[in-house]
Amino acid sequence: MATLRDLKRQITSIKNIAKVTEALQTVSAVKFRKAEARVKKARPYAENVEQMMRDVARGASANTPLLAGREVRTVLVASITADRGLAGGFNAQVLRRTMQFRGEQSADLAQVASGRKAVAFFRFRRVGLEEVFTGFSDSPTYEKAREIGGALTRLFDDEEADEVYLIYNRFESALTQKPVVKRLLPVASEEDEGEEDASASYMEYVPDPETVLRRLVPRYVETMVWQALLESAAGEHGARMTAMKNATDNANDLAKNLTLQMNKARQAQITQEILEIVGGAEALAAG
Amino acid sequence: MAEERGGGRQLFCRVITPEEIVYDGEADLVVARIADGDLGVMVDHAPLVSTVEAGEVRIREGEEQHVYATSDGFFKVSENLVQVLVEEAVTPDEIDVDEAADRVEEAEREFSEVPEDAEDRDRVRAEIERRRKTGENFVRLARKYQSS
Repeated sequence: MATLRDLKRQITSIKNIAKVTEALQTVSAVKFRKAEARVKKARPYAENVEQMMRDVARGASANTPLLAGREVRTVLVASITADRGLAGGFNAQVLRRTMQFRGEQSADLAQVASGRKAVAFFRFRRVGLEEVFTGFSDSPTYEKAREIGGALTRLFDDEEADEVYLIYNRFESALTQKPVVKRLLPVASEEDEGEEDASASYMEYVPDPETVLRRLVPRYVETMVWQALLESAAGEHGARMTAMKNATDNANDLAKNLTLQMNKARQAQITQEILEIVGGAEALAAG
Repeated sequence: MAEERGGGRQLFCRVITPEEIVYDGEADLVVARIADGDLGVMVDHAPLVSTVEAGEVRIREGEEQHVYATSDGFFKVSENLVQVLVEEAVTPDEIDVDEAADRVEEAEREFSEVPEDAEDRDRVRAEIERRRKTGENFVRLARKYQSS
């Protein structure tokens, strides 16, 4: 059994940990609310760009590699994680999904990493990285999305990659973020969904669908990256908030148990002392 | 989303940027510079998809006129809903002229600094050119609309 003093020391240190995790939790909660609002405000743009991409893809003749694709020799995977940890399984699940996805490919692989955690992970595994982007995961700017999107489009245009996938945490709530795989290029061909919207029937393209397509594709890739960065940022703060809440709860539980133990130990010590005094007094009286 | 609106006898317009929806409301007339020149859209316009140039988008709604200075982007008319998708859209009096002028200057400097033998020189230059045009457009519109 630990001594009274040991227990006291342990309790103090655990309470300090709880204070730190609670502070982190509060900070993450604030950042989370901001990031969540940003994702929600940004969604209409992404949805409309995606819709426009579908419109244009439908109108354009399918013989461009941007739509129809080409023989797949190299698959490019872009993984988005956070720059920092302390967010539970947030980063690990994207990286796990990435490794699984890479394992499923028969073509050559190329990898792009966004976020320090991803970079560290791939470097450790000696996975070659085409491009690296770090330092903005908790509050991304459109500028960064443009940089990443530009790099992805360029690799595709230069035929260094024949398919481009994005793997990131989709934000669902503070508690859940799901890693998703999204194909960016070639632009996913229209799956015949039952609900054909009326605009599909007739659409005029100025000057022509191919020209609009060529301008749209880079912006589309940027936008998808932008959306992914925002979702990932919101997910990161949400995950950290949850992880830190759990850590705080655990620390408090632990402190409670230890306090109980400490009280027992103190009680035992007092009982022991009384017994000794009584024993001593009796010995004197007897003598 | 797009489906909630339109279809009726009233034209709606939305100006959307990656950060937020800048304008969302009724419109009697929307004028923007699309790929082949200025286009005015009124109610029951034929469905159309095009690009927009860095310029101004004017939305007339009754007696009111809303003007937005925009970067380049995309333009869609469908079912009485006009959508302008641009990276930036601000009202002319929100423009910071100095900042916009700095952008033009920076773009010009970067343009000249692109190495002649860079393999993706054209692409890099086209990207810089876009930034320059947006900056120039902001400066121009600020001068046009900002009274002081």
